[in-house]
Amino acid sequence: MALLSQIGAVTSMNIASLRQRVWPSLATVVAVALVTGVLLGFLSLANGFRATLDGTGSDDVAIVIRKGGGGELSSVLGREQQQLIAEGPGIAKGADGKPLVSGELYIVVNGVRRSNGIKANMPLRGVGPNAEAVRGAIKIVEGRMFTPGVAEIVVGKGVHEQFEGFDVGATVRLSGTDWKIVGMFDAGGSAFESELWADVTLLQSVANRGSSVQTMRVKLTSPDQLKALQDYNDADPRLKLDVRSEKAFYASQARGISDIVLYLGWPLAIAMSFGALAGALNTMYASVDARMRETATLRAIGFGGLPAFVGTMAEALLLSAIGGIVGAVGVYFLFDGLSASTLGAGFAQVVFSLKMTPALVIQGVILALIIGFVGGFFPALRAARAPLLAAFKAT
Amino acid sequence: MTSWGLIVKNLFRRKLRTFLTVFAIFIAFLIFGVLSAFQKTLTEPPQGPSATRLVVTNKVNFTQPLPISYVERVKAVKNAGIVSHMSWFGGYYQEPRNFVVSFGVDPETYVAIYSELALSDAEKQAFIKDRTGMLVGKKLADMYGWKVGDTVPLKSSIFRQKDGSDAWDFKVSGIFTNTEEENGDQYVVFHYDYFNESRSFGRDAIGQIVVQTRDPAQNDATAREIDEMFVNSGAETETRTEAAFAASFAAQLGDIGFIVTAVVGAAFVTILLIAGNTMMLTVRERTGEIAVLKTIGFTARRIFAMILTESFILALLGGLLGVGFAYVALGLLGGMGGGFLGAVKLTPSILITAFILMALLGFLTGFLPAWRAMRTDIITAFARK
Repeated sequence: MALLSQIGAVTSMNIASLRQRVWPSLATVVAVALVTGVLLGFLSLANGFRATLDGTGSDDVAIVIRKGGGGELSSVLGREQQQLIAEGPGIAKGADGKPLVSGELYIVVNGVRRSNGIKANMPLRGVGPNAEAVRGAIKIVEGRMFTPGVAEIVVGKGVHEQFEGFDVGATVRLSGTDWKIVGMFDAGGSAFESELWADVTLLQSVANRGSSVQTMRVKLTSPDQLKALQDYNDADPRLKLDVRSEKAFYASQARGISDIVLYLGWPLAIAMSFGALAGALNTMYASVDARMRETATLRAIGFGGLPAFVGTMAEALLLSAIGGIVGAVGVYFLFDGLSASTLGAGFAQVVFSLKMTPALVIQGVILALIIGFVGGFFPALRAARAPLLAAFKAT
Repeated sequence: MTSWGLIVKNLFRRKLRTFLTVFAIFIAFLIFGVLSAFQKTLTEPPQGPSATRLVVTNKVNFTQPLPISYVERVKAVKNAGIVSHMSWFGGYYQEPRNFVVSFGVDPETYVAIYSELALSDAEKQAFIKDRTGMLVGKKLADMYGWKVGDTVPLKSSIFRQKDGSDAWDFKVSGIFTNTEEENGDQYVVFHYDYFNESRSFGRDAIGQIVVQTRDPAQNDATAREIDEMFVNSGAETETRTEAAFAASFAAQLGDIGFIVTAVVGAAFVTILLIAGNTMMLTVRERTGEIAVLKTIGFTARRIFAMILTESFILALLGGLLGVGFAYVALGLLGGMGGGFLGAVKLTPSILITAFILMALLGFLTGFLPAWRAMRTDIITAFARK
């Protein structure tokens, strides 16, 4: 009990004396906050990108592309293959009794990014009449859907946020044709929101694609029908295509880029932590030295070394925890929900929002506490070993 | 004792503190050096021949094709010297993960335009004469063990032959290195005609036209002239220098400039606080000594200069170490990035910026403490004791 009350007394003395060292303490807090902020900035970037692609596609939609690497952009499916796939097993039927499949073209076009005026690749998707029925989660939030056979485009919400000149009612010129933007759609935050959609038949003729498409989306009666469709595909030498669940397709695309961001973010944050650690150590050593006489006096009147140790640790951890929280809150207000875009695996921009989660905040605060722990530990040892003679030495 | 001797003594009086401060500064400059070098490589157009060659692509996007008939029309432009073209093949070797950057080209004009590729005349002639000939970059050839005379089957992730096969056989006519760019030898080129005639779709379309102009000073006007020629045609064009084309590609990854500035900025504010804080502590601790120095006749200005020098030395020591390590680290990272990144190096302009930052850091962290030391009042300093 005596020990506990000693610890309590020394800790409160330490904390109370922070007021005398406002500037050094504040410098430590800000340094830790910046380190945490850099880490959380990168983590929220990676997390937001992953969340967008993970939220794209569903288990009961199969995507059919050509075998041999590459994604949608380099795939080609001829007319015969399209028909064969539509006759495959396990495919859900629409109201008209026809299989719910959508042959789609995926063409990359230029758009001008709002943030820096730089031209960037945007996906223009040619979709058939079943595209909405196959995907489900597509909602027109402004204007209307395009009319088949007419040069009209609907744009994803993300496109409108990130790129210039895609307001509903505007006209864009692509491949020598003027396309009127007639609507904007919401796709539940998925990667489809980064796309422009137009009528596939019209796009085939404008882009000289004949009757070929690049991918087919197939609505399955249930997710476990995927295997049946894959077997059907593998058995037919005219097909031999790559059949995957749409969800798995997009999840595999998320990995590469979010890994790069993680591999960039963590080493940077760790390198910066070492810098901040050096600062924390300086501050804490100075704090211990400044109170050396006080600590030694306490020892002289019967206080143990442990309370001095705990008191200094508490001070260091408090400073770094404040820093961590300030950093996390800062990133939350500055970056959370911020819209960004990068080049995705489909060779076109994917628009996503930076996303903070409690799990990320915890990672940031843990990093901050590690800095505080190491930064406090060695100075705390010095305090605990304060020589009794120091009490009587003039400073 | 001289001022200089005192400064050195002061610096090493608290060895741990000095070490930690220098270490923090070191980290900041390491981050600055490495990130700036990457930013430079990714966003700044390279010099050399690619700065003067023009590339004509489809205005919709460079992944969209152009009709091959455009080549003749571009040749008719007055300032056009040599005109060549290239088409993306999307090749891989054996497995899709063995991705090979590969183009179908017009052989004669290609070797004429890309003079920075080191090839013997015999190799050039062999390539031009052999319809199935292929030129291979040295790094790629080493990686897969290809030698001159070997027949190499490359598959395309996009195209198929008329007979349904997706593999084309090419014979290695020559192996080149790039005299302009350290990593610019990680691709292959082969005869466009051979590939064009055998592919099952997309025939007579090309990816881009490359123009070596007679007078590079007229490039802007020539680019405009080419683009105007194709306005309102089925495939409008966009013409810019090869270097600008490459830079626009990197810009798509994201706002690299913003990210680098934000991270480096955060690192420097951190270090400014840490180093400034340490200098303040140091001066506060030495108040008594400074009063003694003043008593024995040191002028206020001399004391000011001594403290400021101390902070400059700290900044310089940490800064030089950081930049030095950045140099070593970039050397080690050099092999990464494959053929898509050029050599990542510390350029003179990065070094100059680093020195400016060191000076700034030394000044900002030293000024206030030095001012305070200069103004130390002898009486109060002794009274405090």
